[in-house]
Amino acid sequence: MNKELEHQFVTELEQNQNIVHKVCSLYTNNRDAHNDLFQEITIQLWKAYPKFRGDSKFSTWMYRVALNTAITLYRKSKRKPATQDYDSVIYKISAEEYDPTQEQQLKLMYSAVKQLGDIDKALVFLYLENKNYAEIAETLGITEVNARVKMNRIKTKLRTILNP
Amino acid sequence: MMDELELLKKDWQKREVNLPRLSYEQIYQMIWKKSSSLVRWIFYISIIEFLLPHLLYLLPSFREGLSYDFARKLGINSWLIALTVVQYAVAFFFIFQFYRRYREISVLDNAQQLIKRIFRTRRTVKHYVIFCLVMILTVFLVFIVGMALDENLVTTLNLDAQSKDVDPAQLKWMMIGVMAGAGIVFTALMGGIYFLLYGLLTRKLMHNYKELKRIEA
Repeated sequence: MNKELEHQFVTELEQNQNIVHKVCSLYTNNRDAHNDLFQEITIQLWKAYPKFRGDSKFSTWMYRVALNTAITLYRKSKRKPATQDYDSVIYKISAEEYDPTQEQQLKLMYSAVKQLGDIDKALVFLYLENKNYAEIAETLGITEVNARVKMNRIKTKLRTILNP
Repeated sequence: MMDELELLKKDWQKREVNLPRLSYEQIYQMIWKKSSSLVRWIFYISIIEFLLPHLLYLLPSFREGLSYDFARKLGINSWLIALTVVQYAVAFFFIFQFYRRYREISVLDNAQQLIKRIFRTRRTVKHYVIFCLVMILTVFLVFIVGMALDENLVTTLNLDAQSKDVDPAQLKWMMIGVMAGAGIVFTALMGGIYFLLYGLLTRKLMHNYKELKRIEA
């Protein structure tokens, strides 16, 4: 029975691992930290898995656990080099749609998002993942109205970062 | 800006192809690793904090200082026994409370609820530590009162031979002063270490909690 649960869990996580990688890429600055956070999220997901009833989609359930781990439970690893060698992963561009101005703008946007605080990042992340305000509010434990207001403030903040 | 964020959204969803990919085996290995989460740290540190006042009795100097022999001579033995009983009763209550709250922490709660529960668990330990600090001060106080009420403190402690040239009354007040000083320094030190640890551990949590509260304000 336990073996089956393990297999089920690992298979589901393997299929949905992109969600976790995306959270890691937003909340960490280098590959070591990325792997560290990925591991911690995996442990937390596994610990909570027996309580996962399947009343929501596995991926929906993952967002909450992954973000909670990044915002609350994760303690940054000690061996953190100062350099940001990690950016290359989220900034990588595919050659066929290379548009210098747009690319430049996107690059700036990504680095602006990475400068936000933990909570703001979570809001932007869920927004980018196409979640509606009700879901965003639910995940963070705030009201929907406040989630909307906050999102507008973040947009203003991003605008200031982009056009100082 | 609206359009820019929409642009980012489109791009974000395209970027999935560039993300790292772990194999089934790699993920399988991970589920057996030990968590290094904040909650686990808080759990370990809290256990140490529960044990620390008791571990102090293992130090020879501390044990001698609080020895029943010394206390019996001062006539405060029954006071110390009563204090110990109270201390254990309260410690068990706190450990029970801590365990209950620790079990309530769930990664499935929403972010705000999760942080709140962690703080509540932590607060239980904080109250316990404050209680311990008060107890330490009380023990010192009992000794001080015992010493002050002792008419012949120097004789009680068999210090006659060593202190022939010193006025007994002066020596008595000096000893009480030293005891009071030691009590304050010791309590401050224990408290200082604890609150520093507490602050460092929950700094990020506090920051994010305030941020969430600000959104609600």
